Amino acid sequence: MSSTAGSTLTHQETDLHLQGVINRPYQVVVWNDPVNLMSYVAWVFRSYFGHSKEKARELMLQVHHRGKAVVSSGAREKMERHVTAMHNYGLQATLEEAE
Amino acid sequence: MARAFRATTRGYKADLESHERRLLSQLCADVITMLETRGKQLTGDDAPAGTDAEDDYAHFRRELAGLGDQIDGSDAAGGLAPPDDAALARLLPDASSDPQEAAQFRRLSESSLRESKLADLRAARMALEGEPVSLTEEQAPVFGRALNDVRLTLASRLGVEDEADAEQIHQMAKAGSAATTEALMAELYAFSTWLQETLFSAMLDVMPEDD
Repeated sequence: MSSTAGSTLTHQETDLHLQGVINRPYQVVVWNDPVNLMSYVAWVFRSYFGHSKEKARELMLQVHHRGKAVVSSGAREKMERHVTAMHNYGLQATLEEAE
Repeated sequence: MARAFRATTRGYKADLESHERRLLSQLCADVITMLETRGKQLTGDDAPAGTDAEDDYAHFRRELAGLGDQIDGSDAAGGLAPPDDAALARLLPDASSDPQEAAQFRRLSESSLRESKLADLRAARMALEGEPVSLTEEQAPVFGRALNDVRLTLASRLGVEDEADAEQIHQMAKAGSAATTEALMAELYAFSTWLQETLFSAMLDVMPEDD
């Protein structure tokens, strides 16, 4: 895992490119499976991520029809927690580097 | 005849026959045993004489798969290999498509995931003691997660890999023979699916509109 701790570069000296590498965003991808119910998946997206009704439904349908959907993106540690939470709900989720 | 989950003024309730509650509770207990066994294997707490041959074989298979595991399931880079059992692997899935990354993630997170699932399943068994089965707003997601883990386990045992397989299981359950273990599992799968669908439909209904 990358960290800026101990870096010899001060914040001002850090160029944009390097900062981009260090703070590279990660994303949580949820994969389709034949067991999880559409109502359940929509409920998880609404209650856990706080997505709106429409957004949750859109993501749920994207998982269902296209096989996967990016449900959240941001700092790595936060995304790791989301992946574990999805596994706790029984959803197949993976952590990926954002494109 | 069972009556589905519906919203009440204080949460949700469903009327289940006592044999239905007992069967669901037993399924939760089975999943608890699977998860506990995995935990014991990883901490090396289980070494009863009878399982030695099986353990050696599992180790051999991991070696054969090129994962180079130690006996405790850790690989050369300090990661943790996924469970060999398909149902357990579905309950504790890889967190990355990159096997090395997944093994590292598993090393750090699998035991807490297992503990969360065990707590959910134990709470669900408590709830199934009641008639009717009543759940507060806080207990409903816990019960739902446990029920889902039961469904994932049954689906894995029934070889459900795609939506056509799932449909076939529902057809088998409709036939209602329960003459074989598979037919009984199919009925239990259909029953727990119905129960979960009614619970989460009710939960979505009462969920407040977006802020």
